[in-house]
Amino acid sequence: MTSVNTKLSKFIGKSAYYVAKKCGKNATALPGKVALTVKSDLLLDMGKKCDKIIVTTGSNGKTTTTTLLNHVLKGSYDSVISNLGGSNMIQGVLTPFVVDSKDHYDFGVFEVDEGSIATVFEYITPDYFIITNFFRDQLDRYGETDNTIKMVHDAIKPETTLILNSNEPSLLQFDDLPNKKIYTNLEENQFSKHEIKVVENILCPNCGQTFDYDYVNYGNVGKFNCPNCGTKNHDPDYNATSINVDKGHYEFTLQNNGKEETYTLYLKGLYNVYNTIGVIAAAKEVGMDYNTINERIQNFEYKQGRMETINYKNKDVTLVLSKNPVGLSEVFTTFGYDKDEKVVMYVMNSYAPDGIDVSWIWDADFEQVAEFEGLKRFYCVGTRAEDVATRVKYAGIPTDKISVYPAKDRWDIKQAIEDIVNEDVNAFITTSFTALPETRRLLIEHKENEN
Amino acid sequence: MELNVINMYPDVLNLYGDSGNITCIKQRAKWRGITLNIQDLTVSSDVQVNEDTDMILIGGGSDSGQSTVATNLLKQASALENYIENDGVILAISGSYQMFGQTYIDPNNNKLPCLELLDINSISQGEKLMGNIVTKANIDLSNVNQNLDTFVGFESHTARTKHNYEPLGFVQAGFGNNDEDKKEGAVYKNFIGSYLHGPILPKNPHLADYMILKALENKYDIDKLEVLDDEIEINAHNSMVNKILTK
Repeated sequence: MTSVNTKLSKFIGKSAYYVAKKCGKNATALPGKVALTVKSDLLLDMGKKCDKIIVTTGSNGKTTTTTLLNHVLKGSYDSVISNLGGSNMIQGVLTPFVVDSKDHYDFGVFEVDEGSIATVFEYITPDYFIITNFFRDQLDRYGETDNTIKMVHDAIKPETTLILNSNEPSLLQFDDLPNKKIYTNLEENQFSKHEIKVVENILCPNCGQTFDYDYVNYGNVGKFNCPNCGTKNHDPDYNATSINVDKGHYEFTLQNNGKEETYTLYLKGLYNVYNTIGVIAAAKEVGMDYNTINERIQNFEYKQGRMETINYKNKDVTLVLSKNPVGLSEVFTTFGYDKDEKVVMYVMNSYAPDGIDVSWIWDADFEQVAEFEGLKRFYCVGTRAEDVATRVKYAGIPTDKISVYPAKDRWDIKQAIEDIVNEDVNAFITTSFTALPETRRLLIEHKENEN
Repeated sequence: MELNVINMYPDVLNLYGDSGNITCIKQRAKWRGITLNIQDLTVSSDVQVNEDTDMILIGGGSDSGQSTVATNLLKQASALENYIENDGVILAISGSYQMFGQTYIDPNNNKLPCLELLDINSISQGEKLMGNIVTKANIDLSNVNQNLDTFVGFESHTARTKHNYEPLGFVQAGFGNNDEDKKEGAVYKNFIGSYLHGPILPKNPHLADYMILKALENKYDIDKLEVLDDEIEINAHNSMVNKILTK
């Protein structure tokens, strides 16, 4: 029985959706927020509509994992509900239920902000919980990474199966939980490095020693062991053993239950390979077959500025969000795959959703950009353009290759986008959170004007 | 010319981009043809502070990281004391600034280990003091060239710190050492303690040069540095000063 309150709060939430849409807003959180004011435990009723629930959290990869998993599951199941807009606090999880009013879903697949896990898990207990990684991310919002991990750790109920990246050392902090755990792994490959940047190393949670690494796939993610107490990676249930890159796509072999299967992925970046292995593990665990999973992964096309490529007549522009040192470093590494002459742009704002503190850019590996073959120009843009320019200069990029476009607000980036679109070489653009929509809008507008 | 720099605990004390301070010193030395020998002192290395050490950088970290470091560094406390008394240049940010003092009481009312080298006392209490900060410089910058007399950065600390040393700066916007006396940081000889992240040095190139010059003065007959083109850094500095002070 749906209570009167549930109906009422959904009705009001849905009204808010239509009003917001009419006003041209992306209504990804407002309807949920409004509905919550009428019935604060609405998510409890909504969660019951899903046969199975899969939640993803972590610093990086939430949106990609959720979007890809939603797409993969739709290969076998009719009704999958997700918060695909990227709004990932409780109101963001609730909004799709308010906007769409089916009585039953095969799967609920949600991304939840690390800081909102405790609240969301009061109302829903996921069947599977994918934890991607914990990197230092907007410290001014949560304090320190250890506190974030503890908040997530303490909210987990024992019935949930955890899907964990065994290469990520901070996930060792979930070892003490009694939950069933499934571990994923990516073995050493042609992109692996053999030394870890000292600032990215973390200490063994059992004894406080610095880890030794056999290889690092990115950030502090790789094969590690503690020289003092012997703590090391967990043996994987899903192990990617080889990876090849060809014309912008990856092929990798995944071992599971004694079988080897090959997958093709068109998303760039080793972190996206990790995201994909997590998705495959979840899809396999719920019983999907290899052929369907592989087909869905192959035909997945990403939009909305998560490593999106926009094709212009004379060049391609790649657009990707980055929000913490590890993510940004890996984005730059991916830009470096292209050996031709190119321009790079970083649009950085410091509104609350970006993090008002930008000091973390000093922990990101800008130095590799100075080594890029064919770097023609680096565009520093946004309300913190001058901070980016300082970082870029100290990374060793000559000042005559640095262009600075200070912006008075998030919309003040028109000239910078126009200038980069007028370049006759491929362009690679990364942005902070609030800079992404306007950057993308202007890029698409330029493309439409081209035709 | 040559300087020996110890970069302390970059693996543990690395919050808020404090790694940028070593990057800044490294580049500003390189652009002037000064050789820098940088050693990382970490929990598992045996780098020693000694009479050849010309500069020490140490960043901020979590309370647990700070305890690990204080315990590990305690065995070098007397070497550090000699270093400071003999005008050795040292920059200690946030948690490390507290650690050089007598006491640091954490938010759970635990007394954390300190090096007890300076008369500085810190107690965590109340709201976190967090946000952008501008201070008026309180050190003699006449020999470094950028015409900047403010420091900008980002602070984030629960501790209220008190001492009777000269502050590094007087708060124009933000909190500083505590939320009462409008002082930020501490200067004793060439020891500089500060709550400023940002990181502090790249956007305050005059402070970076002040430290480089002090370190060079300790071993060479020199009273000026080669002037660099700091347009980008100065723009970054001024744009933050303007944003914060006009808010």
